[in-house]
Amino acid sequence: MLVEIIEETKGKDGRRILKVAKENLIELMTELKKQGFNHLSLITGVDRKDKIEVVYHLHNFESKKYIIVKTETLDERVPSVAGLWSSANWDEREQYDMMGIVFEGHPDLKRMFLPENWVGHPLRKNYDLKKVQYINMDEDGNDYATFDPGDGW
Amino acid sequence: MKTGDVGLITTTLDKAMEWGRSNSLWPLTFGLACCAIEMMAIQASNLDISRFGSEIFRNSPRQSDLMIVSGTVTKKMAPRLRRIYDEMPYPKYVIAMGVCVIQGGPYNQGYSVVLGVDRVVPVDVYVPGCPPTPEALTHGIITLQKKIRNETDR
Repeated sequence: MLVEIIEETKGKDGRRILKVAKENLIELMTELKKQGFNHLSLITGVDRKDKIEVVYHLHNFESKKYIIVKTETLDERVPSVAGLWSSANWDEREQYDMMGIVFEGHPDLKRMFLPENWVGHPLRKNYDLKKVQYINMDEDGNDYATFDPGDGW
Repeated sequence: MKTGDVGLITTTLDKAMEWGRSNSLWPLTFGLACCAIEMMAIQASNLDISRFGSEIFRNSPRQSDLMIVSGTVTKKMAPRLRRIYDEMPYPKYVIAMGVCVIQGGPYNQGYSVVLGVDRVVPVDVYVPGCPPTPEALTHGIITLQKKIRNETDR
């Protein structure tokens, strides 16, 4: 493989874990897809306080092998892999909703579960749980978030 | 009720209505989380609630008069729950099943859970537990029937 890998380790169950700079992410993912990793199981985000780690779990149905790709970002921005695996579309939207990671090049990056005007991203370490937000539905059936306890639930 | 010697029963219309209502509760098919698994058990043959007049679960809120809120109510679900409750015809009753529905339960400090469904709809009977056993829910339904008939539960 020509892509520069920062670190390669093995997990407890023998899965390869590749760590890569985010500039080389798309190049590595394209290479892995060519090798037959045609299923993106999930995308997760890890909040390390000073940086955010994004983890991709890939599966190869032919050889029945898993591979884990990790990348880090300081400015909450990561290139999108939605062009390679279509399932990344919703996975990345979920990570944007919960962790606030902006996936550059995503076709339709909006919140997955919470209303569009919800303040903050709930799974981040710096999310303030004391500022309680409520959700209500307007007449058209669209959700909106509010800080007013009399307006929603 | 008074029973005479001539084979007649006299009662008030209110009492007859209450008796009829309490013995034909039609619950709504409305499962939100894991408590719904226990709720399903009460209508199966083992713990058949039809014995107490609660009949089968209806799929439409327009045909049912009992809502068993079984499972965590998220903030996103709360407006929908209110809308389903509004669609049910009067008289209608609500049973809050499980601690999540009563006050948030293990998700009490989370950002996404309504701390008690009684903030959304008026609740008649609370059934605590995580999850409550089907027997506890059956007891809750019998308690609701007694409440409808204005009987004390002692």
